[in-house]
Amino acid sequence: MDRVLKRNLNRSARYTALYIIVIGIAFIIIFPIFFLVSFSFMSDYETFSEWPKPIVPSFRADFMIDKDAEGYHLYIYNKSEKEFVNFGPLSFTNNENDLASLQKFIRKYSNCAISTDKLREYLKGVDNQGEATFQLKKKILDNYVLFFDITRDAPAAFIRSILVACLTIVISLTIGGMAGYAFARYMFKGKNLLKLSVLFVRMFPAVSLAVPMVIILANMGLADQPLGLSLVYSVGQISLNIWVTASVFMSIPVSYEEASEIFGTSKIGAFWHITLPLALPGLAACAMYSFIGSWNEVISAVVLTQFNPTFPVVVYKSLVGSQGQINLITAGSLVQALPAIIFTLIIRKYILQMWGGVRV
Amino acid sequence: MATLQLLDIAKHFGKGVWGVKKLDLEVEDKEFLVLLGPSGCGKTTAMRMIAGLEDVTRGTILLSGRDITDVAPRNRNVSMVFQNYAVWPHMTVYDNIAFSLKLKKMPGAEIKQRVQETADMVKIGGLLGRHPGQLSGGQQQRVAVARALAVKPELFLFDEPLSNLDAKLRVIMRTEMKDIHQKTEATSIFVTHDQSEAMSMADRVVIMKDGGIIQIGTPDDVYSRSTDMFVAGFIGTPPTNFFNVVCSYNDQKIELKHSDFVLPLDSANFAELKEYNGKNLVLGVRAEDIKVVPESKAVFKEKILVIEPQGSHQIVAFNLEGAMYKISVPAEIEMRVGGDIGLDFNMDRLSFFNKETENRILLKSEVSN
Repeated sequence: MDRVLKRNLNRSARYTALYIIVIGIAFIIIFPIFFLVSFSFMSDYETFSEWPKPIVPSFRADFMIDKDAEGYHLYIYNKSEKEFVNFGPLSFTNNENDLASLQKFIRKYSNCAISTDKLREYLKGVDNQGEATFQLKKKILDNYVLFFDITRDAPAAFIRSILVACLTIVISLTIGGMAGYAFARYMFKGKNLLKLSVLFVRMFPAVSLAVPMVIILANMGLADQPLGLSLVYSVGQISLNIWVTASVFMSIPVSYEEASEIFGTSKIGAFWHITLPLALPGLAACAMYSFIGSWNEVISAVVLTQFNPTFPVVVYKSLVGSQGQINLITAGSLVQALPAIIFTLIIRKYILQMWGGVRV
Repeated sequence: MATLQLLDIAKHFGKGVWGVKKLDLEVEDKEFLVLLGPSGCGKTTAMRMIAGLEDVTRGTILLSGRDITDVAPRNRNVSMVFQNYAVWPHMTVYDNIAFSLKLKKMPGAEIKQRVQETADMVKIGGLLGRHPGQLSGGQQQRVAVARALAVKPELFLFDEPLSNLDAKLRVIMRTEMKDIHQKTEATSIFVTHDQSEAMSMADRVVIMKDGGIIQIGTPDDVYSRSTDMFVAGFIGTPPTNFFNVVCSYNDQKIELKHSDFVLPLDSANFAELKEYNGKNLVLGVRAEDIKVVPESKAVFKEKILVIEPQGSHQIVAFNLEGAMYKISVPAEIEMRVGGDIGLDFNMDRLSFFNKETENRILLKSEVSN
């Protein structure tokens, strides 16, 4: 009995240690992402003036106004200092101009909205009682709104980017898939050499190819257009898709297609009824890679676009021009990451698809 | 009613590689024909040409008199069961069986009935909702058979369907498939490299080698009257024992001289051997046609090398001139390894082969059979 207990304890201890390590590793991986998400909801004041940085964004901000000979003073509650600290102009009066700029200041640096009438009301309270405290609700999505506000072409670029990614999927998967099928099913001269040579296009860095590509696209009349950009992305994706789909098709026995031919379909029918459904997980994986590759690509896009940038280009430019407004950058980065994440989650279903417990 | 005729069929794979060199074959209605041969003999290629999966280099294929040489596989009205089952993993068992019926636009109720019927016939009636991945190998093979049956084709093709199953299941399926054939009476061609499978299932066996036919005949024909040494050595477990002998014909007496024994033969029954006087022959004797006799009556004596008990009988092996010989002995006879046994031949069942051509020397007594 004692031995059993000892063994159980031993095992529990080992599992506990293992899980602590695993959780630690997971934490290390997840924390930067958490940081990104958390920061994208913070106000300017939170990200810059509080130290240590808050783990989670606040939903409210506390303010205090008092009055002395110079005029009114605004304070904000700093959570790390645990006291009210100076916020905004050193002093202000209750004239319309001062209140309007104060309102703007509060809006910009604490993401809280307050009307000038309300401010005037609080000032009256200060006049009577010497000071007034009030709490304002933070506009939690303000950074995102602001990001789309200051980068005027962001919504259009977002749609353009999705269009480029979808075109890349269609072009690269159609051509790559068909070539992959040929590589998997047919014997022909120079097959291995050809299969290897399609990878050559991936050996050159995107930047080195971008400039010649601009000229080629300009000659085709596709410069600075989604279709042109997706063609450039497809070049690299096709070669990858050929390799992936070829191995996918190779893993599907020819006899499946032969059986289909005998039981009533043509060769093409066999492909539609049998091979395509079986290859779907692999093709979905290809589509995912194509989407992510095209969606995240920024170097070629910077060179190849001018008036019609893609979303990563917009994010990149705002990053350069944001003067370190980290909360805005994180919001932009998350907007950039979101479609790729959503697309991956949707397509995951197909990638993990199994039939009757057997992976094909 | 379905007959199949292969007229001078050949398949050339290019670069001088012939899958099938020449094949003339006629399959009768309701017949169960087995193509048997070692790997690479062209039996599967021949079947694939009949199915339409492989183009024919030369020749004509007639199914019930209709020329199907250049007809697409789906229009040939043949069914096939594949070696790796080829049951589609993304469809349920029901959909697998109903696939061809749906393509033929058969009414739904009829499909349902037909699928249930055929599934019951191969004993998978309760598995219709499952996916093939949830089935064992034997059950998957049954699905493949049901799928082939559901079409009610003129001709069934089986491409080594049992070779992926374990030994015990293989024997069970063998019996069941023969039973199914007897029920459906469909003309069938069965490809295998397992001679015991061929012997137990076939109405007629076609033995192939190097892209051509060596012998066509009933299981008894190929076993007892093998056309050459290849067939005699290929068919039967253990295979035929071959003795290199010299034939001599003196004083109206035929004698076969082996280094270890001399076998006198009745000159009336073996008259054909007279012309081989002084020549080398190969004597072929089946394992069960060498009898254990008291040493006084024995033609020759040998030391037992290995005994393999089989329950109903035992296989006894001995060495002669460096070659291994195996004989089949009733289980009752007690023997021990290393002991001597006296042996004699069953004179009615001897085969003789020409040493050079390896072809059978036909005896008159056989021809009359």
